[in-house]
Amino acid sequence: MATAWESVRALASGFATTFKHLWRPPITEEYPEYKRPLPVRSRARIILTRDPDGAERCVACYLCSAVCPVSCISMQATESEDGRRYAAWFRINFARCIYCGFCEEACPTSAIQLTPDFENCQRDILKLVYEKQDLLVDHQGKDKEYNFYKYAGVATDVGAKGAHHREEKPVNIRSNLP
Amino acid sequence: MPKLIIDDQEIEVASGTKVIQAAEQLGIMIPRFCYHPALGSVGACRVCAVKLLEGRLKGVQMSCMIDAQDGMVVSTTDEEAVDFRTHVIEWLMLNHPHDCPVCDEGGHCLLQDMTVSGGHGIRRYLGKKRTYQDQYLGPLIRHEMNRCIHCYRCSRFYQEFCGYRDLGALQSANRTYFGRFQDGILDSPFTGNLSDICPTGVYTDKPSRFRGRRWDYQRSPSLCIHCCLGCHTIATGRYREIVRQEARFSEAVNGHFICDRGRYGFFYANHEARPRRARVAGDEVSYDQALQALKAKLAEISKRSGPGAIACVSSDRSSLETQAVLKRIGRMRGWRNFSGFMPQGLAQKVQLAVARLEPALSVSLRELEGADFIVVVGADPINEAPMLALALRQARRKGAAIAVIDPRPIALPFDFQHVAMVPGAISLGLGLLARGSPDEAAIEKLGPPVSDFYAALPTPEVMNASDQKRLSPLIRDLRSSRRPVIVCGTAVGPATVVGLAADWALLLQAVGKKAGLFYLLPGANAFSAGILSDPEDTFEKTVEGIENGSIKALMLVENNPFWQFPDRARLEQALARLDLLVVLDYLNSAAAQQAHIFLPTATLYEIGGLFVNQEGRVQAAQRAHSGGIPIAQSGGGGHPPRIYGAGVPGAEPRPAWRTLAELVEEVVPPDEARMQSEVGVWLAEEDPRFADLPPFAELPEDGARLNHKRDGASRFLVNWTAELQKSRGFDDSFELLAVDWTFGTEELAVYSACLKALERKPGLLMHPDDAGRLGLTDGDEVAMQLDRGTLKVPVGVVANMAPGVIVLPRHRLLEWQRLACGRIRLERDRIRKAASPQGPKP
Repeated sequence: MATAWESVRALASGFATTFKHLWRPPITEEYPEYKRPLPVRSRARIILTRDPDGAERCVACYLCSAVCPVSCISMQATESEDGRRYAAWFRINFARCIYCGFCEEACPTSAIQLTPDFENCQRDILKLVYEKQDLLVDHQGKDKEYNFYKYAGVATDVGAKGAHHREEKPVNIRSNLP
Repeated sequence: MPKLIIDDQEIEVASGTKVIQAAEQLGIMIPRFCYHPALGSVGACRVCAVKLLEGRLKGVQMSCMIDAQDGMVVSTTDEEAVDFRTHVIEWLMLNHPHDCPVCDEGGHCLLQDMTVSGGHGIRRYLGKKRTYQDQYLGPLIRHEMNRCIHCYRCSRFYQEFCGYRDLGALQSANRTYFGRFQDGILDSPFTGNLSDICPTGVYTDKPSRFRGRRWDYQRSPSLCIHCCLGCHTIATGRYREIVRQEARFSEAVNGHFICDRGRYGFFYANHEARPRRARVAGDEVSYDQALQALKAKLAEISKRSGPGAIACVSSDRSSLETQAVLKRIGRMRGWRNFSGFMPQGLAQKVQLAVARLEPALSVSLRELEGADFIVVVGADPINEAPMLALALRQARRKGAAIAVIDPRPIALPFDFQHVAMVPGAISLGLGLLARGSPDEAAIEKLGPPVSDFYAALPTPEVMNASDQKRLSPLIRDLRSSRRPVIVCGTAVGPATVVGLAADWALLLQAVGKKAGLFYLLPGANAFSAGILSDPEDTFEKTVEGIENGSIKALMLVENNPFWQFPDRARLEQALARLDLLVVLDYLNSAAAQQAHIFLPTATLYEIGGLFVNQEGRVQAAQRAHSGGIPIAQSGGGGHPPRIYGAGVPGAEPRPAWRTLAELVEEVVPPDEARMQSEVGVWLAEEDPRFADLPPFAELPEDGARLNHKRDGASRFLVNWTAELQKSRGFDDSFELLAVDWTFGTEELAVYSACLKALERKPGLLMHPDDAGRLGLTDGDEVAMQLDRGTLKVPVGVVANMAPGVIVLPRHRLLEWQRLACGRIRLERDRIRKAASPQGPKP
């Protein structure tokens, strides 16, 4: 008798839940009319950011292309007049990208970052091949502070030898005095 | 033979072996920075620490400094040793900058590998880092001293191994600096090796700066074809071009290093002007159209004037496959073929050298380093084959006495005895040395032909007193030597010298010395060209044939006579007479531009190939990439074109041998995999010396030496009366020598922009006595009345050359090709001071 009563109660509570939901406002979001703000850490379209001084952060070190499991990143590094290493061209094939974020993790300069912008479909596959001008943005992305060349120790427009973070003045090679 | 245990494995090694080497033989790589097999041990970096558990010595020791001893028990994994090494890495990283992402060494950096494998990730030291100013070291090497860990490899290599003094250690203690006293281009022609030996990124390769990372590169074993030595290289392809070349270790040839001409000479393969389309009468057509046009034209000429009216000329930069196919199809069709040698005399010398190099005499470049007496005759090592100079230096460092008998001003990075003689006298000098070198009693016992040869050798009286005085100390050294080697060049001396060098080496062997013979030839594949050429069919003869109308069609296969032929006007006239000029090449040469039919060929880097070096060593290069227009060019500096399609743009150039094989219906063009085996069969039919080679696909890493034919009949034949005549030189006139320089005279390497800055300003070199007689001083501009016009050049007056000889580099910046063929005699009054003296010292 007790088991029968429990069964009836279980059924009733189940139906009661269903009945309650009939009167609740729906939780379905009407995408694309409504676009939910995604957390900044979400991984979608990739950008190349700039340092706080406005210069390109990417030094074209090839680490992102090395770590990319689907080989969708390719680039060619070159050197500017003022000693900076940068990408002559930088290409990401989003038709191939799996948005794993390894590139962002590998990046030593916080240049390459994934953004929450996932709406990235195209009818022409060639439109998914992004060149450097399509990737480069005018802000710092998630890392507001870092400027690689302030720490790196190579002479650029950011600082000469001995002018970087925690550096002695260059050694005078023409004197043995301490 | 000490027996020791390293990490529980027993090994027996030769005495004198260091523990680090013994471990390497077991396959255990002990970390190292300062130790290098070519440079030896100094114990500067402290990172090769191991723990010795048993034996006379115990505790943590540097494995590069300890000789392996009997009963030694070594642990590389002992906790104390590992802890020691970890701390050493951390110390070395104290001042190391945070610039791996912008450092070209990243990816193949020894310091990076050791740091990561040592587990040092987070910097604990928070003090300031030491910094240095960098220097400009020329167009090849980029300097970034902050990265230095003071292992001293660079200064040991540069000063001890190579013998140049302008780069080394400055300052002291923690501030030690490696560089030059002042910024400037490095003196040594071996500087590229600095980027290979530096364990971190202090010296990085400038021409390939930022072009990619090691993991992205297509690296493959290749060969250097910029001289006859055949040094081993690693060619690096990236985005359809060769971006870098490194030295590849070879036990028999170049050891660990290569010269700068070999390392940076590859840019011809990526050159923007490189022809990639076939051309007929100047119009670009498809490859097949050009091939059909060529077939039709050849058939027509063959029908009209006979197959003998067609001449095919290959060159010493063609691969063995190309030379073999050309030889074969020429034979099948009855075409005249085939020699790449420009002047008649050079062809004779090369063929003689190839015939006389017996297996018992031949020494490799590395064996040369073990010689205790070396005579270099008629060769200028640093200018003709720079790695030879480096090998000679290693012999000198081990105590060998070295003498150079050559008319040119010779500069070598070690002390040596230079006997500057006019070219005609070289064989006399050599004969004199041969006369003095062995014991007469020993010769008597040997009987003829050795004793006859010996008896005919010139006696000291025939030579002037000063030359005698310079040769006599050599004779003394030679008598006491046990492993003498004769290095014989083919560039300046008379043909007799080539045979005499072999005879002398045989003589020395007969009296019990371990004598060796080392020829220098004029090009990468000159050895096989020498074997496959008809002695009577040189390029000079071909030009004569065109002039007298017997040759109507000329096919130049990877050959540009405009570069080498001494008489440009004559060449132009001859080529203009031709009914058909066909050029197959990968260079946009003057000949290619004049060709009626042009077919582009692929370079060594795109197809690989076999090359035979000057000691008859057949070596194989593999392809580094599969050709096409470099992305850097097709993208115009920006991103690659956004065009997608099957096939590689600009990949029309094919191997020259394939094009040649397609010319003849009877020859089924084999695929690349089968090509080398087919060529092996053809070559064996062509010459028995090729018969005993292993299949080319199975060539060992160091190649295989050809089995030289022993031709006893040609031994010990020197006409001394004729030699005495030649030795007098020209009393009232100069002998002009057109010579090679390290940079600026080698056809392929002049396409490299980075090497242009290293070229010396070309000029005419003469002895102070001669200059005084003509009233010239160093730096004067002279006008030379050559056979084909006047040449204005600055004069360099140098004391270390033979009087009566003037030296003119075959430099790209000089219009030197106004000479007659053969030996050039120039009366003194044909050199006059030009009206307006100008220009700096050459």
